[in-house]
Amino acid sequence: MTTPAVQRALDAAFREEWGRVVATMIRRTGDWDLAEECAQEAFAEALRRWPVDGPPRRPGAWLTTVAGNRAIDRLRRGARGAELLEQAGREAPQSDMDEEAMSELFDETDEIQDDRLRLIFTCCHPALPLEGRVALTVRSLAGLTTSEIARAFLLPEATMAKRLTRTKAKIVAAGIPYRVPPAHLLPERTAGVLAVLYLMFNEGYSASSGTELIRAGLCDEAIRLTRALQQLMPDEPEATGALALMLLHHSRRHARVGGGGELITLEEQDRGGWDEEEIQEGLRLLESALRRRRVGPYQLQAAIAACHARADSAADTDWREIAGLYALLEGQMPSPVVRLNRAVAVAMAGDIEAGLAIIDELSGDARLERYYLLDATRADLLRRRGDQVAAAAAYERALPLAPSEVERRYLLGRLKEVKTADRHHKAL
Amino acid sequence: MKYLLFIGADGLPAPEDLAVLQRECPGWVEEMDGRGVRLIGRELELPETAATVRVRDGETLVTDGPFAETKEFVAGFDLLECADLDEAIEVAAKHPSSWFQAIEIRPFMDGLGLGDEAERFARGDDSRGAPYCLMMCVDGIPAAPAVEEAIRRDGQTWWRDLETRGLQVFGHPLQHKDTATTVRVRDGETLLSDGPFIETKEFIGGIAVINCAGREQAIEIAAVHPLARHHMIEVRPFWSE
Repeated sequence: MTTPAVQRALDAAFREEWGRVVATMIRRTGDWDLAEECAQEAFAEALRRWPVDGPPRRPGAWLTTVAGNRAIDRLRRGARGAELLEQAGREAPQSDMDEEAMSELFDETDEIQDDRLRLIFTCCHPALPLEGRVALTVRSLAGLTTSEIARAFLLPEATMAKRLTRTKAKIVAAGIPYRVPPAHLLPERTAGVLAVLYLMFNEGYSASSGTELIRAGLCDEAIRLTRALQQLMPDEPEATGALALMLLHHSRRHARVGGGGELITLEEQDRGGWDEEEIQEGLRLLESALRRRRVGPYQLQAAIAACHARADSAADTDWREIAGLYALLEGQMPSPVVRLNRAVAVAMAGDIEAGLAIIDELSGDARLERYYLLDATRADLLRRRGDQVAAAAAYERALPLAPSEVERRYLLGRLKEVKTADRHHKAL
Repeated sequence: MKYLLFIGADGLPAPEDLAVLQRECPGWVEEMDGRGVRLIGRELELPETAATVRVRDGETLVTDGPFAETKEFVAGFDLLECADLDEAIEVAAKHPSSWFQAIEIRPFMDGLGLGDEAERFARGDDSRGAPYCLMMCVDGIPAAPAVEEAIRRDGQTWWRDLETRGLQVFGHPLQHKDTATTVRVRDGETLLSDGPFIETKEFIGGIAVINCAGREQAIEIAAVHPLARHHMIEVRPFWSE
C-alpha cells in the first residue's frame, strides 16, 4: 500500500532525481530517447517496489542503478550494445553480451561533476532553436511529459512532440557535445542557459487563464532548476542573481491577480499577500551575488525587484534608486523596453515631465510600434499629472494592441476612471 | 565528424569587405590546414555561371542561375573534420566571410570517403578536367517514400558509374537541413541561428564534385541523376585564376 510517507518519497524523488537520472543515462549511452525511457521505467519500478520494500536510503542511486540495468537489458537486445562496448575500447562480443564488460561500462564511479550541468548546457546550446531549447529543458530536466509541456505552452501535443524530436535529432546529428563548455565559452553559454530558465519562468508567470495550474508549475520548475544551477556554479553571480530575481517576482504571485482573474498593479497590491520567506531568500541571495562585484543584468533586475520588496508601501518605494538601477541596466542591456521602465522610475521619483520626455523619444522607435505598454505607460503618467483627456486618448491607443483579455480589461478600467475623473473635474 | 561549411553571400562584397577577405583568408586557410581541421576548400564561380537542371516528362529543363531565387547564394565551401559542432562553429566564426555575411554549417551523413581525386582537387590541381559542383537541391515537398528510396538507390548507381568513367572527385549526402547552423559574427559576437542561411523551401541535400570537359557535359551528367526528375540540381564551375 502506498502510505503518505512513501508517496512523499516518490514525489520528492521524481522532483529531485529525474533530471539527474536522465543526465547520467545520456552520458553513459549517448542515446537521448533510451535515457528517457529507462528513467521512466526506473520510476515505474519505484512505484511498484517502494510501497512494498519501503523507500531506499539513497533514492537517486537506487533509481540510477535500476535505469542502468534497464539500459543494459535493452542494449543487450540491440546492436547498439556492441557498438558501445567497442567505443569503450573492447572487442565486440560474438553472441552473448560480455556480462562483465557490460556492467563495468555502467558501474564506473560517477564523475564528481553533476551530469545535470552537462544536460542543461546541451539542452540550451545556442545552435538549437530557442523554443526547442526551452521545451527540451523542461522535458529532460524537469520531467514534464510532452502533453504537459504542450498544455503549458498552449500548443497541440503533436506540435510539441515534433519540436522535442527535432531538437534531440539535431543534438545527435549535428554533433553538439554533451558537456559543460570550456572556460572561454562559459560566460556566454551560462547567459544562454539563464535566458532559457528565465523564459521558462516568465512563461509560467504570465499565466492568465485556463491552464494556470500547469503554467504556474513552470515557475516552480524554473526556480528549482535555477537553484540547482546556482548550487552547481556558486561562483557565477548572475546565476545567483537570476534565482534572486525569480524568487522576488514569485513572492508576489498571489497578490498580483484578483479574485476575478484581473491583474493588480504593483502599486495596488496587498503587500501582506507577498511571500515573506521568498522575499528574504531573494534578498539574501542578491546580497551574496552583489558581493562578488561582477554585476550583470540579472543582478540589476533583482536589485530593482528588491527595492519594491523592501518598501512597506507603494509610497515608500525608493524610485530614485530604481531609476539609477535602470540606467545601469540600460548600459548593460540597451533595449527600448528597459528605457521605458526607466522613464516610469524617473517619473515616479518626482519628475513626470522628464519621464514623459523619455517616452516621447521612444515613440519614434520602430521596435515599440506595436507595443501596448508604450501608450499604456504614457497614459498612466498623464493620468498622474492630472491630464485626463490626453490620458484617455493614450489608453484608447493602447487598447487594440493589448495582447490578452486580462490586459484589455485593465486598460478599460483605467479608461473609465479617467473619463469619470474628467467629468467630475468639468462639473466642479 | 565531417562538416561542410557553405560560404554564404547576399550579393558581391563591398570593396572594403573584399579587401578584408583578401587580407584575412590566407591566414585562416593556413591555420585550419595546419590544425588539420580543413580538408578541402574551394571558391565557386559567381552565381550567374550556374545552371539549374530539372527533368520533367523526360525533358531536360535548364534555367540560368542558382537553385534559390533569392539574393543569397553559395559562394564556396570548405570541408572540415572537427571534434564536434562547437569546434566547427569556432572555425566558421574565424572565417572573415562570417564577419560580413553568413556561413552555414552542415554535418555530412556518415560514410564520406575522400580519395586521391579529392586530394588533387583540394590542392587545386585541375589537370584531369574542369571541376564542377553539383548541388543536389531538394524541393520543400518530398516525393513519396518509395520514390525517395529509389532516388537514393539510383543515385548510388549514378555515382558508381561516374567512378568507372573517372569523373568522380568526391560527394556525399548531407544531414537534413534541420541540423544546419548558421554563423554570423557581428561586433565581435558570434551569433548562431538554427537552419540554413538561404531560408527558402528548397534546400541542399548533398553535393557532388565531378571532373568534366565543360558545362555541357556537367549538365548532361546532372540530368541523368534521379534527383533531377523530382527535385533539381544546381551545376556550377569552381573559380579559377
